[in-house]
Amino acid sequence: MTDQELARDLGFLEAYTIGLGTMIGAGIFVLPSIAAEQAGPASMISFFAGGLVSLLAAISLSELATGMPKAGGSYYYVNRALGPFFGSIVGWGMWAGLTFASAFYMIGFGQYLLPGLGQYIGFLAGWGEIGITVAALVMAALLTGIMAALLTGVNYYGVKETGALQNVIVLTLVGLIVAFLGLGALSGPTIGTFLPPEGWPAVAATIGTVYVTFIGFEVIATSAEEIKNPSRNLPLAMIAAVVTPTLMYVGVMFVSTGTLSIEALARSRIPVADVATEIMGPIGALAMIVGAVLATVSSANASILSAARVNFAMGRDKILINWLNEVHDRFRTPYRAISATGIITLVLIAIGVGIGTLAEVASFMYLVTYALVHIAVIVLRRADPEAYDPSFRIPSVLYPIVPILGFVACIAILLQMSFIVQAIGGVIVIFGILWYFVYARDRALSQSLLGEAIAPEPTAVADGRGQYRVVVPVANPETEQDLLRMAAASAHAHESEVAEVIAVNIIEVPQQTSLAQDITFEEARVERQQELLESARDFADALDVGLRTRAIVGRNAGSAILDVIEEEDADHVLLGWKGTRSRREHVLGSTIDPVIGHAPCDATLVKLGPEGGAEVGEIMVLAGEGPHAPVAARRATEFAKAAREDTSLTLLNVQQPGENEDGASPQKQGRAIIENLVETAGIEGMQYDSRVEIAEDIERTILTAASEYDTICVGATRSGAVSQALFGSLPETIGEQSDRTVVMARGPEESAMSVRDAIVQRLES
Amino acid sequence: MPASLFEHVLVPVASPEDAAATIRATRPYLEAIRSNVTVINVVEKAGGAPDKASVEQREDYAEEMFNVARSQMEGSDITLTTEVRYGTDVAETIIETAHEIGASAIVFTPRDGSRWVRLLTGDVALSLVSDSDLPVITLPDHD
Repeated sequence: MTDQELARDLGFLEAYTIGLGTMIGAGIFVLPSIAAEQAGPASMISFFAGGLVSLLAAISLSELATGMPKAGGSYYYVNRALGPFFGSIVGWGMWAGLTFASAFYMIGFGQYLLPGLGQYIGFLAGWGEIGITVAALVMAALLTGIMAALLTGVNYYGVKETGALQNVIVLTLVGLIVAFLGLGALSGPTIGTFLPPEGWPAVAATIGTVYVTFIGFEVIATSAEEIKNPSRNLPLAMIAAVVTPTLMYVGVMFVSTGTLSIEALARSRIPVADVATEIMGPIGALAMIVGAVLATVSSANASILSAARVNFAMGRDKILINWLNEVHDRFRTPYRAISATGIITLVLIAIGVGIGTLAEVASFMYLVTYALVHIAVIVLRRADPEAYDPSFRIPSVLYPIVPILGFVACIAILLQMSFIVQAIGGVIVIFGILWYFVYARDRALSQSLLGEAIAPEPTAVADGRGQYRVVVPVANPETEQDLLRMAAASAHAHESEVAEVIAVNIIEVPQQTSLAQDITFEEARVERQQELLESARDFADALDVGLRTRAIVGRNAGSAILDVIEEEDADHVLLGWKGTRSRREHVLGSTIDPVIGHAPCDATLVKLGPEGGAEVGEIMVLAGEGPHAPVAARRATEFAKAAREDTSLTLLNVQQPGENEDGASPQKQGRAIIENLVETAGIEGMQYDSRVEIAEDIERTILTAASEYDTICVGATRSGAVSQALFGSLPETIGEQSDRTVVMARGPEESAMSVRDAIVQRLES
Repeated sequence: MPASLFEHVLVPVASPEDAAATIRATRPYLEAIRSNVTVINVVEKAGGAPDKASVEQREDYAEEMFNVARSQMEGSDITLTTEVRYGTDVAETIIETAHEIGASAIVFTPRDGSRWVRLLTGDVALSLVSDSDLPVITLPDHD
């Protein structure tokens, strides 16, 4: 992946600064007051515990981030490992968490700007409660607007300089806090009684409150694709970005509670500045206020941008409409996603949720997220999908202790949080679940690997126990015969006595109407279904193959077909395709996507050529190195065997000019690949021609060659449950552009086992 | 030798609309002498600060631009090469790429927009013209 190499431009220091920049944000300036009120000096323990919990999450996230360096961070990992149900919960959870956090930062900004700077600038003073809200609103709106259209200064001066500015801000903040800690320690803070005023449970509950300051390190994981030498730099940067602020937070709490009384701290809106007045005088306080204003703005900036990335990742997985992810053609920003996040942030500020609650809800959502992240690590380790190969693995002494401990810790804190927060968080989680059932379930491309993880051994590939069954969904009388003929060819190849073809037709009924009601009114459709299936039986007689038909009424054709495949324990599903890719919502079509994406058996998609009804004729197989090329070759031989005399089989391989490192000529390499394919596919007995073409533009050459044949068979180029393409771009392009009959084939190993099947298998074994 | 200017042109594009406009304007020149053309999109990196959108999202967006460019070239036998580049300074990255691939010139069509919009979005065109040590050709967009 040379592209990715080019994009990697962050070393350890840059990654660490990015993490630190988001971590040292509003939290440290605002939380001391809330934390002191809840738990007194013992809140130091809360901060320390929060740091430990984050450290565990950082270790698990490092493995996931190096294994799947994709935009979206935790959401992406959870969605890949646990499927769209949990993906939907975490996606919405993270998005809500970031939105609540942004609102929290902005109110922190308002507090420091007005009552804080008001001490120095008369005009800012005396605005009171309303003033803070207004300032937070104005800044949030400005920030959103600026980000959607991207920072004026940034584009004027160029991003390079902005990166430098960001580093200056982070360094300034670190310097300020270090000075605060140093001078504070020298001034001799005295902790009266360490015992928390409200008892130890309050200390545990405070972990939940302050956890919001720890959500920032996640940005390092989301930048995984840009980090140089990620196996070393990524975990190091993450751990450093958790440890440094933890120490600072504990120190700030020590100095604050040791300098001011708990009552004074709890009353203060600008706790760090008030403490600074005591130990450094007014100049120190002013410096802290300026620092706080910078920190809150840069935190809010980072969290709104992160929220837009979560939206993007959800859109990519079809869990969310892609409309939101439109990039502005001028500003090159995902302006809709940014605006949506900004608007919700404004609403949260305006309705006056209260700064403490905002922080706690953000913490809540992230604790839910990290709890699932820990599970995702274990699931991925157990399921071990092909494409998952993290360059950093949790060392064996720490696995599985880290993810288990991390999960338990997250849940324990969640349970300690106040009822109102749990209620708001619960509503957001339920929203995620409802979203999954109403929107995402039928569209999502990913699938859960939970089953694979529970199963005793890696899943055995469907072995055709008993009868070999081919399921063929039919909908169009014109293509029905050809699809059945191809399905019969595939069935024939597997001992014709026990093979059978199952023709399925589905009447789709819209959500609003009840299934029974709609059917009585739509007799015409039922009649058409009967006709269609009847003609299928006629064709089958001629084809000399066992055929059963199934007439189904359902909400969604895709899931109905998948149900049939499961009930029949099918070995192969063969679908027809019109040959046009749909743009946004679906890859190939609303019914095709879920079936091809999830079918636990061989899956074949056929686009019929212009002469549809004719024989398969001369067949060409694309003999590439893709994982599913052997399946395509097998399909081709099945068709060739079933066809009459006038058929031929050609295996085509296209090579780019130039010798490989062993000095083999491209011609030779191509031949070797074809021979290898024949062997893997187990079709040595067939007569075939080998053809090797040498050209720069592989796709074009294939398309030109395709026009010389009648049927083109091509295997999926992508595999693994971690990726989410249906067949890959090359097969889909050929299917779209060639005017011949195109057969796209895929083997079964792509699908993951369902949880139920896995448990059944486990019980049986 | 004016023809040689178009021997191997580098076409930087910034959006699907821009890709359509530039390829449309450039095509007649390319076909006249059967030139080579490389279309690039620069993914702007913040070099430390958070990027404005994820790299992956912008790579997808680049792919969208390339598809538009290819469809504008449809029916022509000129081969169009596409590439995504990454850099903190867009103009600088374009010029570097031009040298790397041995381009004879950099070709673009200016995008309209007021002074304000240019100020907001950064004026890559201006930087290209003033910083490039290779010929830079600006073509009018007739559509």
